Amino acid sequence: MNEVLEQKLSTEYKYGFVTDIDADNAPKGLNEDIIRFISAKKKEPEWMLDYRLTAFRHWITMKEPDWAHVSYEKPDFQDIIYYSAPKPKAVLNSLDEVDPELLKTFQKLGISILEQERLTGVENRIALDIIVDSVSVSTTYKKTLAEKGIIFCSFGEAIQEHPELVKKYMSSVVPYTDNFYAALNSAVFTDGTFCYIPKGVRCPMELSTYFRIEAAGTGQFERTLIIADEDSYVSYLEGCTAPMRDENQLHAAVVELVAHKNAQIKYSTVQNWYPGDKDGKGGIFNFVTKRGICLEENSKISWTQVETGSAITWKYPSVILKGDNSIGEFYSVALTNNYQQADTGTKMIHIGKNTKSTIISKGISAGYSNNSYRGLVRIGKGADNARNFSQCDSLLMTDQCGAHTFPYIEIKNNTAIVEHEATTSKIGEDQLFYCKQRGIDNEKAIGLIVNGYCKDVLSQLPMEFAVEAQKLLEVSLEGSVG
Amino acid sequence: METAIKTSTIKDKLIFEFETSKLFLFGDTQIRDQAMESFYKQGIPTRNHEEYKYTPISSILKGEFDLSTSKNCNDEQIEPLKFLKEAYNVIIENGIFVEGLSNLENLPKGVTICSLVNAATSNSAVFEKHYAQYADIKTDPFIALNTAMTKDGVFIHIAKNVVIEKPIHIIHIATAFENTIIHPRNLIVVDENAQVKIVESYQTVDSKAKTFSNALTEIVVDNHAIVDHYKIQDENACLPERKELGYLMNTTQVIQKKQSVFSTHTFTLSGALVRNNLTIVLDDEHIESHLNGLYITSGNQVVDNHTVVDHRKPNCNSNELYKGIIDGKSTATFNGKIFVRKDAQKTNAFQSNKNILLSEDGTINTKPQLEIYADDVKCSHGTSTGKLDQEKIFYLQARGIGLTNAKKLLMHAFASEVVNTVKIEALRDYIEGKIAKTFE
Repeated sequence: MNEVLEQKLSTEYKYGFVTDIDADNAPKGLNEDIIRFISAKKKEPEWMLDYRLTAFRHWITMKEPDWAHVSYEKPDFQDIIYYSAPKPKAVLNSLDEVDPELLKTFQKLGISILEQERLTGVENRIALDIIVDSVSVSTTYKKTLAEKGIIFCSFGEAIQEHPELVKKYMSSVVPYTDNFYAALNSAVFTDGTFCYIPKGVRCPMELSTYFRIEAAGTGQFERTLIIADEDSYVSYLEGCTAPMRDENQLHAAVVELVAHKNAQIKYSTVQNWYPGDKDGKGGIFNFVTKRGICLEENSKISWTQVETGSAITWKYPSVILKGDNSIGEFYSVALTNNYQQADTGTKMIHIGKNTKSTIISKGISAGYSNNSYRGLVRIGKGADNARNFSQCDSLLMTDQCGAHTFPYIEIKNNTAIVEHEATTSKIGEDQLFYCKQRGIDNEKAIGLIVNGYCKDVLSQLPMEFAVEAQKLLEVSLEGSVG
Repeated sequence: METAIKTSTIKDKLIFEFETSKLFLFGDTQIRDQAMESFYKQGIPTRNHEEYKYTPISSILKGEFDLSTSKNCNDEQIEPLKFLKEAYNVIIENGIFVEGLSNLENLPKGVTICSLVNAATSNSAVFEKHYAQYADIKTDPFIALNTAMTKDGVFIHIAKNVVIEKPIHIIHIATAFENTIIHPRNLIVVDENAQVKIVESYQTVDSKAKTFSNALTEIVVDNHAIVDHYKIQDENACLPERKELGYLMNTTQVIQKKQSVFSTHTFTLSGALVRNNLTIVLDDEHIESHLNGLYITSGNQVVDNHTVVDHRKPNCNSNELYKGIIDGKSTATFNGKIFVRKDAQKTNAFQSNKNILLSEDGTINTKPQLEIYADDVKCSHGTSTGKLDQEKIFYLQARGIGLTNAKKLLMHAFASEVVNTVKIEALRDYIEGKIAKTFE
């Protein structure tokens, strides 16, 4: 057991390299001047700056939340660089203009943009928006998308070019008053992704954002806003990595989804921020507010997440089911190892009639980690015939880790049917024995069993991600059971 | 001057009362001082407090409350409350043990039942070993408040190897004329190999005013002991016309030792606000714990059940079943937590909460939680909420049973899973009768 554990613990973070791009940093600390600096740097209009300042003024009155089942040293918000942009040579129109060093970074990560460009057949392609240290550096396939009327660009660009849409939808799902980190993000966000799918359009390819934190001592504060207009469909992928550093870096993002009548949004995340070393030193603090709203009838929002990274994860992708007959889904695999701590789950707020929600959460704890599911299902008074089914399973890999479940269920309508189930267990000895007996070694058997355990969730991911996620789980779990 | 009195909060009032009366209270003043300090730090929890999110206690305590207790009940009023004919009855009026009204004749050898005040002086060895050792003043403001302010209650000690057949019935009654806060406290110590059945009932008798009872019971279950514990919370059993009068904050702290068996059953039938904090600590190996609960609410009632099952050692079993039927504008909350500590391998812990929401205006909040730090365990929790099954109603109607009767039948069937766990026959009949009445 110990040997295997040792081996596991020595599995190093594969994505931990530092690329030296001459970042254009803001001075450390946070005050109104810094916000003005960011706003000026982004050449933002007046209303945007006003919004940031209002959010900032609200933020300073707020206290950091401490209800989550995680313990960490609170970040010093005056010791963070709030703006770090890789120096652009010029406005980027094609990939040739991207800093070659950056391209190398992506190659190391196995994300070759150029290769993707060569791919033929639109259906199989993925449009990619790449964000390094909160600044969007490259958006691919813009033209193909524009033909369909789809807007897919960086948030900064959207503020310049589509201010009416940004004004209308930004902050409508996650107001800056929502919570501490949402307020902070509203004040200092530097960039992000903006996406608008017009009426009746089915987005022909997967849209994707790739996040990476590069500069030391910085925080990453990006914002994503996706709007699916009537009868449209979009599938969106998000992936993230960060270099290895001794210090904790803060990532506080806000994601807002808006689904109009009959629209569908599928949002998938594979989160692999640097989790810290085997002693729990360093790693990303991932404090993210993600929320979608099914604004009108028959709309659907589906969250799928595979969480393997970050020292601390604090994340609750939620759906507000406002329109009648709308559907919310949440599929999650959260894996923690070493000293990682995750407190993640979802909120399903049923407001409209005949709304349905499904929650499938699979937690896996290994090493000395703590993994919590925290979820809310609220059935409002007017939510007639609402239906919820939740299942939260936890798998324990060692006797030093913890697995916790904190579901909140609030029901104010008697026609609603709500069910919640949870189980906690360790990996089955008999299953392992069965595999080994058939000549499958311990490692592979564990991978097999864990992948089987997560199948309900992994099968929800788009093809490309599903393969990556499966590998990621296997790598993260190497030798974690004796 | 008058405005000054009005603006003084209940917290200040409690602290003032404590300072003036503490020298006249039983037991160690140091424990009381520490408890008061802890209460002062914690304050009365508002709805922002995670554990009191669904219990509007602070708004209730905003009203005017008197802190003194007096008035004597007579035999006539008490008689109907002694609903178990074959039992030792203990009467606690407004938190004070009343020997004159209790029936404690012919107690078997080895059984001590007396007031806490008496126990503090006469039976000091057992009392001192166990009193205020288990309910942690730091974990809850009401534990701290009770520990600081309690005036009396009952002390029960069952000596080693004593098996007592007749149940002991502790009848808590509130009889105040003015709005009052009382802090009854009980200590029950069951020694090795002993067996006992304890029934606690909470009632308001002939009251013109509101009573807020902040009651606390500590139960020690020693090696191989078997304890059967029942709580009947029917504040308004005697006053059917005023269904929502009593406020009950009821803390039960249980510690179990090696191979002991503890079963507790909580029935909440009436009372404006009932909040139960039940904590069971499984502090050794091969322990068995059963927690059952049934709450039937209507009107504007608020019922909140908080349970904590703390598995500290390996090879223990716990089983929890709470069921609720919610009608009117009432709110019912279930918050169950299972801890499995690092050492507690081979734990089996199960928890289930099922609710039926009858009305359009009722609310159910449930929060079944697992906190697990050991890997070789079997733990699960489940919860479901819905209205009465339409198909079942149809099935019965198709067989000539009217809608009202069909519903009653189904509710009985739903409740019976909990009621059937009651081992004292007379008590089971009593509860069944009460439930039948509430369904009418």
